[in-house]
Amino acid sequence: MSKIKQLVKKIWKDQNFSWQNLLYETIKTVLAVVIAYVIAFVIIYFVSDQPSNSIYWFVVGPFSSLMEFGEIIRKAIPLMFAGVAACVIIKAKQFNLFTEGAFYVGGLVAAVIAIYMKVPAFLAVLVALIGGGLVSAIIGYIPSKLKASLEVNEFVSSIMLNYVVLWIGIWLISNIIVDDASGDMATKIIPEVSKIKVFLTGTNVTYGLLIALIITILVQLFFKKTHHGYEIKMTGDNQKFAKYAGIKTKKRITEAQTLGIFIAGVGGATEILSNYHRFNWKSLPGFGFDGFMITIIAKNKPLMIPLAALFIGYLRAGADLMAFNSDVAQEVVSIIQGVIILLIASERFFSSVFFKNLMDKLKEKRKARKEEVSINE
Amino acid sequence: MHDELLLMKDIRKVYYPDVIALEQANFSIKTGEIHAIAGENGAGKTTLMKILFGMEKANQGELFYQGEKITIQSPNDAMKYQIGMVHQHFMLVENMTVAQNIVLGIEPKKKGLFDMQEAKDMTKRLGEMYDMRLNPNAKIRDLSVGLKQKVEIIKVLARDAKIIILDEPTAILTPQETKELFHQLKLLKQNNYTIIIITHKLREIKEICDRVTIMKSGRTLGTFLVNELSIEDISKKMVGYDFDLKPITSNKKLGQPVLVVKNLLLHHQGKPLLKNLNFSIKEGELVGIIGVEGNGQRELAEVLTGVRSDYEGQIFIDGQNIKGLNIQEIRQSGLSYIPEDRMVEGANLAGSIFESAIALKAQQPNYRYGPFLKLKALRTYTEQLIVDYKIKCENSHVQVKSLSGGNIQKIVSAREISENPRVLVANQPTRGIDIGAVLTLHDKLKELQDNHKAILLISSDLKEVYDLARTVIVLFEGEIVAKIDNIQNVSEEQLGKYMLGIERQSGSEAS
Repeated sequence: MSKIKQLVKKIWKDQNFSWQNLLYETIKTVLAVVIAYVIAFVIIYFVSDQPSNSIYWFVVGPFSSLMEFGEIIRKAIPLMFAGVAACVIIKAKQFNLFTEGAFYVGGLVAAVIAIYMKVPAFLAVLVALIGGGLVSAIIGYIPSKLKASLEVNEFVSSIMLNYVVLWIGIWLISNIIVDDASGDMATKIIPEVSKIKVFLTGTNVTYGLLIALIITILVQLFFKKTHHGYEIKMTGDNQKFAKYAGIKTKKRITEAQTLGIFIAGVGGATEILSNYHRFNWKSLPGFGFDGFMITIIAKNKPLMIPLAALFIGYLRAGADLMAFNSDVAQEVVSIIQGVIILLIASERFFSSVFFKNLMDKLKEKRKARKEEVSINE
Repeated sequence: MHDELLLMKDIRKVYYPDVIALEQANFSIKTGEIHAIAGENGAGKTTLMKILFGMEKANQGELFYQGEKITIQSPNDAMKYQIGMVHQHFMLVENMTVAQNIVLGIEPKKKGLFDMQEAKDMTKRLGEMYDMRLNPNAKIRDLSVGLKQKVEIIKVLARDAKIIILDEPTAILTPQETKELFHQLKLLKQNNYTIIIITHKLREIKEICDRVTIMKSGRTLGTFLVNELSIEDISKKMVGYDFDLKPITSNKKLGQPVLVVKNLLLHHQGKPLLKNLNFSIKEGELVGIIGVEGNGQRELAEVLTGVRSDYEGQIFIDGQNIKGLNIQEIRQSGLSYIPEDRMVEGANLAGSIFESAIALKAQQPNYRYGPFLKLKALRTYTEQLIVDYKIKCENSHVQVKSLSGGNIQKIVSAREISENPRVLVANQPTRGIDIGAVLTLHDKLKELQDNHKAILLISSDLKEVYDLARTVIVLFEGEIVAKIDNIQNVSEEQLGKYMLGIERQSGSEAS
């Protein structure tokens, strides 16, 4: 037992852990969430004919059955992938939004591999996932390389690239790999061997959850333990410093973007192989953009991303139920998300200095009270 | 009745989370005096003055103006009490004229429109009153550092300040410019202005100040009449121990040339930045490069270290031409570099001490298993540096930005020197850091010299150059105007003339 305690202590020391900091971050996040919910409730109250019913489904609904609870996790899985992908890119202080297109490409390529390639059954899923990730990464390399070599703003070029891949994809599924039997713009049915199986019986949660968690942990290790991870972080924190120390900053910039996009591509593949019979996306799924929101809520810490993703997953699961069972549209969630992001990203809202002063005052009061007690005694 | 014009009492300032910048700091000034605040860097001098000027808020403490309690929340409040500040880093708009800068925010108006003529007149009037002649139409970017500082001072005067705070005003000036500044400060004093100078140059305190408040690690040790203290007394109080101010040049025999620069030329958009430089540094030799800032020192350092490679000419390290090598390869061939701007180029303020310290080691194969870092070895290495260089911090996880300038500089130089380089290029390694850190650094430089390493020291602190170097090169507009074999034979006055381009070395012309 004591050995475990020592180990935990050592890990905390390595992370430069401080209770005060944890308390601060927690309070700030909780405050942001509470304020956002209050605003949402007010809106629901005015919009809805039976506000209490709407709020019930929104808040308690996701916990009403195992199936609904599983829905939270199912919705969180692609958000985890997207969050981790965005986290890697932001560590290098880049803003490559091709993570969005990567979800689309990853899904499409995975479906194509699953349908048309003859792969031994035990490798089927793996090959489809990695194939989806690789093709995304290759396309995503274009804006990142343009940024590193020619200083083309990756923000603009990656957004444009999203639409390029989307329309190529739509053309493919409506002309080349279309299955007329589907009566839709969609591929053939994805064979069962290539699908990712359900992990928690009684829900729709697949092994995709494990893949997402493993990638999250690998990314954490990448930044803590490897020299590429270290150099990417240094480049993102202070590019001049990194350059003067001899770090090849341009390489690290492309590397971070490509890696992030690879993860997003795998995320898209996982999503398709978990939840779809055919690939039939006719618009961008939105996960790539969500990823940047998730990583902001998680303060760009890889290990916090699953929690942030679960929270947004819960919001969306609740919103779905509310829309189904009452008269409030699910878009209310966007308001909550927006307010939370605003408050968490705001330096001034519940600032660290304010918190520090608050803690100091509390400590002084406690001290004064103690002294009073001792005098009275 | 009220002896003190201004009184700061028991000021306490804590930076989040728990860096105590000031604790029970007391400070007072009298009308019409020149008052020095002396102390090592990180002692809290600038913080104290920023609180007075409303740029920072104190956590505790009181302020009195002519005996009345006041609060200053912002620089605007400070202006109400006629307090003005000239910052160490100038806050001027580079592509506006002198007059425009001076009236910025207090523009004179005629019929609701900006009155340019009045702005120019105001600049001239104030300038003439205090012997600071400036061309109101000149663009700021065309001015020398010394002139920019004058613009800053007039800017403060134009805002009716009666109490003027100067943060390290002489750090960037040549001896001549310093003399001029002191003359102007004395004029201001005669006109009943009160002046506060933040400094750690002891000779200057002796020269023009009436009283001095000495600070050490966030506390004020007391205020003294300058006449009653000797330089040694002040330094003893500041540092807490006696320190050796004797020159520490090494007498060892010099070896082979390590760094050789031949016909180095550098142009930027047709403008010459470096003009045909030729020099070499031998094993065990320290060569000083001096000059007024912006005369090619920065460019020279950038060329040597590989940050810029668009030069003509040749640079050899141990006989190897480094043209075309990238920064990493140049470092591998034995060059280390202490950059000029430690906050940007030297260290990563957003990261921990550990992250800044291992920047070079992390690239080396013997600190890696494949793609993984040998974290334990790197941790030990960092902790060793912290001990060796007496870096004041709780542990290596502490954020770099919470440290004082001197301690940040120690991290940077520790990292670079521990590479055991063949040649070290140190660009302004001791600017603005405390005497304790300067001494540590000077010792390390001497140690390197004893170990037959070559050092190129670019410095604007003449005293430092006198202390450490024998051979000194003076740069003016990117050109070597003097190459001095033994600096002890050349007076400071003479160096100043070279630095300002008034004279060139005759006869044995360099190159």
